[in-house]
Amino acid sequence: MSESLAVRPATSPVGAASSPLDRASRAASLTLVHEVLESFASRDIHGEVLTAIRHYPARAAEWAEFPAWINPNLVAAYAAKGISRPYTHQAAAAESVHAGKNVVIVTPTASGKTLCYNLPVLNAVLETSDTRALYLFPTKALAQDQLAELYDLNQRLDNSFGVFTYDGDTPADARKAIREKGHIVLTNPDMLHTGILPHHTRWTHLFENLRYIVIDELHTYRGVFGSHLCNVLRRLRRIARFYGRDPQFICCSATIANPGELASRLLESEVEVLSSNGAPAAEKTFVFYNPPVVNRALGIRRSYINEASRVTQEFLKHDLQTILFANSRLHTELLLTYLQQANPQPPGKPDTIRGYRGGYLPGERREIERGLRDGRIRGVVSTSALELGIDVGSLDASVMAGYPGTIAATWQRAGRAGRRSGSSCAVLVASSAPLDQFIVRHPDYFFGNTPEHAFIQPDNLEILINHLKCAAFELPISSDERFGDVDLPDLCARLAEAGFLHRAADHYHWTHEAYPADTISLRSVTSDNFVIIDITGEPNVIGEVDFPSALVFVHEKAIYIHGGQQYHVEHLDFKERKAYVKRVDVDYYTDAIRYTQVRILDPAATATACKTVILPAPSAPCEGSEAKDLNAKEGNDRSAHSHSHGDVLVRSQVVGFKKIKFFTHENVGAGQLELPENEMHTTSYWITLERPLLESLPYSVSERQSGMFGLLHALASIASLLLMCDPRDLGTAIGERPPSPDTGTAEPVILSEAKDLNSAMPNSKAAATQEFFEPNLYLYDAYPGGIGFSEPLFRAHHLLLLRTRELISACPCDSGCPSCVGPAGDLAPRAKQAALTILDRLLRGGNDTSEQEMNGEMIGLRKDSK
Amino acid sequence: MTATLDKFSRIAALKPVLARSAASLSASLSPPDKEDPIAQLIGAQVATNRFGEHLSVSNWFSTPEFVEPVPTSLALLSHMRDEALSRRARTALSDPTKWLFLDTETTGLAGGTGTYAFLVGLAWWDAGGLQVEQFFMRDFAEEHSLLHELAARISQRPVLVTFNGKSFDWPLLENRFTMTRAIAVPRLAAHLDLLHPARAVWKLRLGSVRLVELERHVLDAPRLGWRRDDDIASALIPQFYFDYLRGGSSRPLVGVVRHNQMDLRGLAALYAKMNSLLGQDSPSSDEVPSLDLFGLSRFLLRRGEPDRAQSACVQSINLGLPCDVHARARRELAQMAKRRGDHERAATLWHEIISDPVEGIHACEQLALYYERQRKNPVRAAEYANLALAKLRRSRPHVRDPFASARVSLSETRLLRRIARLERKLASSTEALKAPLLSAAKHTPPNTAKNR
Repeated sequence: MSESLAVRPATSPVGAASSPLDRASRAASLTLVHEVLESFASRDIHGEVLTAIRHYPARAAEWAEFPAWINPNLVAAYAAKGISRPYTHQAAAAESVHAGKNVVIVTPTASGKTLCYNLPVLNAVLETSDTRALYLFPTKALAQDQLAELYDLNQRLDNSFGVFTYDGDTPADARKAIREKGHIVLTNPDMLHTGILPHHTRWTHLFENLRYIVIDELHTYRGVFGSHLCNVLRRLRRIARFYGRDPQFICCSATIANPGELASRLLESEVEVLSSNGAPAAEKTFVFYNPPVVNRALGIRRSYINEASRVTQEFLKHDLQTILFANSRLHTELLLTYLQQANPQPPGKPDTIRGYRGGYLPGERREIERGLRDGRIRGVVSTSALELGIDVGSLDASVMAGYPGTIAATWQRAGRAGRRSGSSCAVLVASSAPLDQFIVRHPDYFFGNTPEHAFIQPDNLEILINHLKCAAFELPISSDERFGDVDLPDLCARLAEAGFLHRAADHYHWTHEAYPADTISLRSVTSDNFVIIDITGEPNVIGEVDFPSALVFVHEKAIYIHGGQQYHVEHLDFKERKAYVKRVDVDYYTDAIRYTQVRILDPAATATACKTVILPAPSAPCEGSEAKDLNAKEGNDRSAHSHSHGDVLVRSQVVGFKKIKFFTHENVGAGQLELPENEMHTTSYWITLERPLLESLPYSVSERQSGMFGLLHALASIASLLLMCDPRDLGTAIGERPPSPDTGTAEPVILSEAKDLNSAMPNSKAAATQEFFEPNLYLYDAYPGGIGFSEPLFRAHHLLLLRTRELISACPCDSGCPSCVGPAGDLAPRAKQAALTILDRLLRGGNDTSEQEMNGEMIGLRKDSK
Repeated sequence: MTATLDKFSRIAALKPVLARSAASLSASLSPPDKEDPIAQLIGAQVATNRFGEHLSVSNWFSTPEFVEPVPTSLALLSHMRDEALSRRARTALSDPTKWLFLDTETTGLAGGTGTYAFLVGLAWWDAGGLQVEQFFMRDFAEEHSLLHELAARISQRPVLVTFNGKSFDWPLLENRFTMTRAIAVPRLAAHLDLLHPARAVWKLRLGSVRLVELERHVLDAPRLGWRRDDDIASALIPQFYFDYLRGGSSRPLVGVVRHNQMDLRGLAALYAKMNSLLGQDSPSSDEVPSLDLFGLSRFLLRRGEPDRAQSACVQSINLGLPCDVHARARRELAQMAKRRGDHERAATLWHEIISDPVEGIHACEQLALYYERQRKNPVRAAEYANLALAKLRRSRPHVRDPFASARVSLSETRLLRRIARLERKLASSTEALKAPLLSAAKHTPPNTAKNR
């Protein structure tokens, strides 16, 4: 890999025409970035740290003219803003919209996508003042950002149109005016779902004139959130039809593999994909940084958190404005603490290094965004919150502490550095998680592959029924209506039986006192937030966390870190949804321990080594080849295992916490907690290891148990890679198989620890010592109702085992490391071997895998249906 | 006795014949089918118009009796002095034949597009008593026909009188009209909502101002002519309707219809009560409890009647108020005096409540202002500001309520700023005065004792 270590690019950057000043500053940032890169390279003696360095030359802008049909006032307004002509893709987008098509515009960060939709929409408003448009953003912050842009344009157009945000922060007395006078209403899917659609009669004016719906950051609507949005859009179109409108959609998406498919699934109509990009881009260097190995035998590397902070510090030292992405709130705060300590400010002067994440109050966030734009803030540590298109100006460097989980998100985060000109750098610092290690050791996999596919399952019954209730509340459902690809009359009849609907003259009406949208959150299981109140002095609200996070971050005795300041949680008031904290200064932080139990409710299909049994399963297609292969195997070599998928009930609970020392990350104490359980009905894929198989293993009991945990650890990593899903979308657990196989609803509940796949923290050993007789290894969808991963995993069972075997056997460690079966310290001595042996036994069941299955790295998610 | 008889014969003569009201309807009424148990049960007729059918129940009641609106009370209830009120509204308001009492029974309280008004009760003054008409939909399919009829009634009597109808019943009905896409939302000439005036006047005494409470404690229930003894719980109403829709018993709906009738009659009676209470220049003290007088005073003040507010307040104090309200009434009175420019009177009142645990802080703060600005006495001003601060600190709530403590800390900073300013003022004044006064200010001021 040493040939790729030429740090300076061969070609000199070519950019658009620019002023001498621009050129000078660009040259300066160029030198600085290269200095930093060289300092990394010089430290990397064995050539093992910088596993990849890729240069991307600058790209010049491609210009077009404003289309002739654009209102001259609008052209003048843009000219006054300094935009005298659009990029080619902007003009093309405007033309397509003008031609009446639904479009999805696919461009990287900072390519001027806002203009793609504002141009045609504002033109329509200026031509016909009755025109109304609805903009949907995934977050309130993005809507605020766009509001500022539209305000500015409006002022240049003599305030000829009304533009407002409408969300939870909108004061009640302003709402009426917005409904009447807002030509463009900026909102989010959640507000549309709870605030606008159920009250559509208040929005008559908007709906009667609704012409455009803009959906920005379309790629964020994947998985569950996307499935919800699809249903919200079904409801929106239903209401629009009621008022006689069929609005046109303009969507913008970051680069993903299938933007067109995602858009047409979300909108359920034809969408034109515009993926050319005429915006200029600066020269960019992308570096993979693998923290040095400290102990080769144990596979221990230097902490990626510390290394990420060191890398960031190097950029900051060269006065390069840097964004550092962490994958969790905890790590954000941890890194912020480290960097603020490394860059102390004289007392009274505001910090130049700031944190940014959900849970900070809106005002604080706006202030940080401004600080980044005008350069007062030199460094920011953020969660994925800054991954989306919030305008923070152009930064010089982007550092990622850990692989963000998907290729698309990695490019988004890298795109935060170097927006238009100059030179910029993105560094991915790998953690020791298997996925991270796989990526940095196989750079071609990352640089050569298209980003992920985004999938949605809008007809997931759990999701759809909830939205059907909302739809009935909004407008009686006619018996010949369609809503998704389901048997609507049957569903309505069932809801009527359950007392939610009542049929009167061909229409189903809502007959329930409750307001259904209130109980359905588009994003998480519960919509309740906890407020965090600092009671060190005068009580002061410092932030909020959502319900599931509250159990993990603000349980009693936890150290909650906010803005780099540590707080001790004194009291968690569950009923009032409040956490009371006091400022402290300690040298440790806390990490919650979660326990998970899985109970099988209804297996959909089971395949043993000999035969495939498809239980009731009306529509669980089993790949023909696999079934054949399995059947071909003679019955006498019965390997005692099977794999299945089906409905399960997952209960999880935070039962305690660990105290972990700063910097060394040693475990310095623990505590127990009594917190309520979370229950979730979802789908799971699982492997059953029968007693004969386990007993035939030449290992001790604890080695066997350890081997199973290690195997599960590796299986989960490979599964998320094959599914191209976020590792957090899959949960893992081990539990005893139900005692009698023919009664699936018996009590198969066994405690086991669910390991957070992303966490490099050592896990407690307690769970691993339990003896399992006939364990099930579960990989479940970490969302109520399931996202549809289980059935594809069931089909790809063999491929999953093969790839997992490759991962473990190719790992250079002796007896387990975080990159394969988990850290050696947590495992019994021969756990890695045990895991491999179990895999071998499992693979013996059906090793005549067909070639096409081997080649198809991606699992077709779309084939399954519920 | 004879007077009563006279009245009844008079009323009997005036009692409307059903045909008259039917003639003005756009719908034709017909007796219900024998097979229609719900119509039989609630004594309804089937109304038919171009949108279909619904049920209609008509009743005339001799109580409450018609009262002529007193112009002053009407002005207070309707914000009539508000310039924005249109001519049409003024004309309609002053003609009680244009009034329509309205109360609905709904499938829930959530609002939004999925809540229906399945029973719409209307009432108007007629023949000295109250004509009540109720529209009931036997199923959701009858909603259009019901709303069409409602629109016709409103166009005849475009002044709506409701209890909480401004924020609940009417917006809900507006939704329902919009949802038809066929029947326009009727235009109201004016809307009198009695909830807020009632709350202002009676909340203090009753705690709850639900119509039932008002009937019992304000309207003299025994004389109203109806009894709530076997009234249904209103929380159950949506479920009664859902049960009926699904083929369950329709008998509980009889109770719902009766409940709605009583609510309408209660509403009319409440209007009569407010009309007389707000209509008199000074209500006779022996009829009105002192707490109501104080509530009335606050309502009058809010509606821009400072003089009447003042006299009601004085009256209430003279009658004697419970001790927790007593200080509050004085505080209000002081505030009124201050606004009038009668600072001496205000100061006397503040001195009177200086030891009150709740209002004392406010009084001290106001006295500090008074001594600083009116009497140009920074020494006394500083004393009172310090006293206010001491009281505030003593009263600091122990609760973990961040809002309450935020309020406290806000007043604290305000007081500290005032004290600092006053001390600067004092420091720049004569040397001789400064030392003893500042030290006195830090302790309890000697002159407060005499005011206690």
